[in-house]
Amino acid sequence: MTSLFIDRVSKKFGGVTAVSDLSMTIAPRGITGLIGPNGAGKTTVVNLITGMLKVSSGTIRMQERDITEDAPQAIARSGISRTFQNIRLLKDASVLDNVAVGFHMHERTSLAANLLGFPSVWREKKAFRERAHAMLQRFDLERYADYPAGGLSYGHQRRVEMMRALAMSPTILLLDEPVAGMNDVEADALGVMFRQLADEGLGILLIEHNMRFVMSLCDVVYVIAFGKLIADGSAQDVCSRPAVIDAYLGA
Amino acid sequence: MNDLFAAYKPLFDITLLSCGLAFSQYVVLRAGVESFATAAFAAIGAYFAAILVTKWGAAAPVAVLAACALGAVAGGLLSIPLARLRSVFQAIATIAFVQIVVSLILYAEPVTGGALGINGIPQLVGTLGLLLYLAIVVALMTVINRSGIGRAFDALRQDETVAVALGISVIKYHALAFILSGAIAGAGGGMLALNTFSIHAEQFGFPLLVAALAAVVLGGRTSVLGPIVGAALLAILPEIARPLAEQRLLVYGLILIVIIIYLPRGIVDTLAARWIAWRAVRQTPSVVLGSADDQPVH
Repeated sequence: MTSLFIDRVSKKFGGVTAVSDLSMTIAPRGITGLIGPNGAGKTTVVNLITGMLKVSSGTIRMQERDITEDAPQAIARSGISRTFQNIRLLKDASVLDNVAVGFHMHERTSLAANLLGFPSVWREKKAFRERAHAMLQRFDLERYADYPAGGLSYGHQRRVEMMRALAMSPTILLLDEPVAGMNDVEADALGVMFRQLADEGLGILLIEHNMRFVMSLCDVVYVIAFGKLIADGSAQDVCSRPAVIDAYLGA
Repeated sequence: MNDLFAAYKPLFDITLLSCGLAFSQYVVLRAGVESFATAAFAAIGAYFAAILVTKWGAAAPVAVLAACALGAVAGGLLSIPLARLRSVFQAIATIAFVQIVVSLILYAEPVTGGALGINGIPQLVGTLGLLLYLAIVVALMTVINRSGIGRAFDALRQDETVAVALGISVIKYHALAFILSGAIAGAGGGMLALNTFSIHAEQFGFPLLVAALAAVVLGGRTSVLGPIVGAALLAILPEIARPLAEQRLLVYGLILIVIIIYLPRGIVDTLAARWIAWRAVRQTPSVVLGSADDQPVH
């Protein structure tokens, strides 16, 4: 089983230190929470893990493998996928195609075969579409398969984005505020889904503002403020710490 | 009937060539690359084919294939320094590349004939050859659009950050787009040289750049039909506006502006998007009617 280790990572933007000396572990078969007030550096952490931003110091490892300096697409290929805080779907494409594009790194046909349209390319395409249909069925979106993704409701768009991330068959999934703007019923439905995925072996990093949601779901919670880790431990334990109440809950 | 076709044959040939060059512009835009280097690739192909035929007596297919290959190489080489550039910066760099190629052709007088260009090129490519060229380009584009390359291009065009997060290599697919653009325009330029008797440097400058871009903007940049509709319209419009004589260019410009305002994604793409949305709503009315509770609460 592969864990993601973040070891003493810092990120400076000019004079501003967005993330300072942060260490975390995201274990498989579990949901790790990352919480903190607005501007604490939560999304920066996701961008550092996925290679969208380069770390100023520290290392990030997938089990033994150092991925700190890898290009973003190489990091994706090592088994880390993500969703975005502001939903980023391919709005013109259908729901099915949005999920199918997530299979890109599982393509086995060569560029030349794709240029010339060899039969293997169409077989692969058909297989991807079937797998995408199966995912849509699992997450109850099958009836929207041919609908342009940009026209879906907000909650459904979030689900499509999640399915696209899952299509990569990741070992680590980073969810950046996945239930923002949803009501409790919708959030809980997604929570059940996250729990199922974690039980199947996925390691999930959950960035969230909704404390009730984090408490009910996370095995371990890290709390950051101004880029610094101020507490970590079980959800119950973390919430009672004075520093956390000061920085976050008490506000 | 035969006379009528004979009268319009040059126009038809030019339209076929415009369609081909429009696809060179189309393929880069489809991949999210803001390249306007089509005119330069066409110039490279045209001069190479013309020189091969007039000085070395090469056969037409050899000359066109060589022009295609040289265009592809030029595209591949251009993609290397431009890999880090995006949007307007990429656009300006490719426009500069067009200017450089045109200037080099003007300076290299012993080889290219300088400002006089190359004249008296035998007409080795006819309408049939041009049709074959366009058919190959359309087939290639259709295959690409439906294959994994099309999926990668779509992701890159709509959101590069997402594409990268899905493990799509931006450098590889951008380079591929440049190479395809260069190959298509190189072959098109070669065909042009062997179809129109003479070539000169200025025709590959700004006018061609704008013509190729306008065809894609007008027609649409995702469906394969888009560049064909755009290029055909651009070829026919001046003929339709001919009776207006002096005001011809004015009318031509006005029609372009009106189409761009009311069909912003190009004629074919806008109509296709409306059709898909209409069909989707018809098939799944619940998407629109039953989703109010899914909206974010503010």
